[in-house]
Amino acid sequence: MTRRYADVAVGEELPPLGRVVTLEDVAAYAEVSGDRNPLHLDDDHARRVGFPGIIAHGMFTMGHLASCVSAWVGEPGGVRRISAQFRAYVLMGETIVAGGRVRDLDPATLRATLELWVRCEREGQTEWPIRRGEAEVQLA
Amino acid sequence: MNVALEGKRYPPVRFTVGQVHTERFARIVGQREDGVSPTFPTAAEFAALDQVIADAELALDFERVVHGEQEYVYSRPLAVGDELEVVARIAKIRRRGALGFCTIETELKDGSGEVVVIARNTLVIRGVDA
Repeated sequence: MTRRYADVAVGEELPPLGRVVTLEDVAAYAEVSGDRNPLHLDDDHARRVGFPGIIAHGMFTMGHLASCVSAWVGEPGGVRRISAQFRAYVLMGETIVAGGRVRDLDPATLRATLELWVRCEREGQTEWPIRRGEAEVQLA
Repeated sequence: MNVALEGKRYPPVRFTVGQVHTERFARIVGQREDGVSPTFPTAAEFAALDQVIADAELALDFERVVHGEQEYVYSRPLAVGDELEVVARIAKIRRRGALGFCTIETELKDGSGEVVVIARNTLVIRGVDA
């Protein structure tokens, strides 16, 4: 069921969606997306190019964010535009949490503009694998 | 990295939106609802990106590439069975200090010629040659 425009208010937060990122998931993502950059598959390579180990694809994290948005809208087809800026890496075993907030509502089109993010706690600090994400979604 | 190639367009690549493929993709990104995932077009982008990565004239060092930004704009949701023509173009290419920025805009057209999805992918190349 697509979320109803009448049930949404500016400032409303999307329920946060968390997941642990595993090597198995990232390897499966490499296959299904076609992005077989060794940065996401080969620990030695990742270290050689300056990371502490294998990192998740930015698009894996954005895919998780899109799932958070799809769950809130009620259907993936309601997402009419989505964008993300990748600002921190994600290591294997870390937990990413996607979230968002309704920034704007358009009564003429029944569309909402969402601001989006993905955060990750590392050594007592909050990192932002995705910042300044944005989506436009079609409500019912 | 050759900044003179802004505007270069690559030959179209065919990509079919398959049921098994979209279902596997949705499962891996944790999507519970039915329908093609909003970021599934990345698979079509990668089908066309191979030409960009292999382009000796552009000379992108893919080993030093990280993903900076990504955007998708949809005129309709993709559907299983869509036969797409995928065309990649170098929309913008810049050097700023030791970093290179390359935005690749990829159009996904359906059988009727309608642009269904526009994907904008900004790659950051770390440590480009001066």
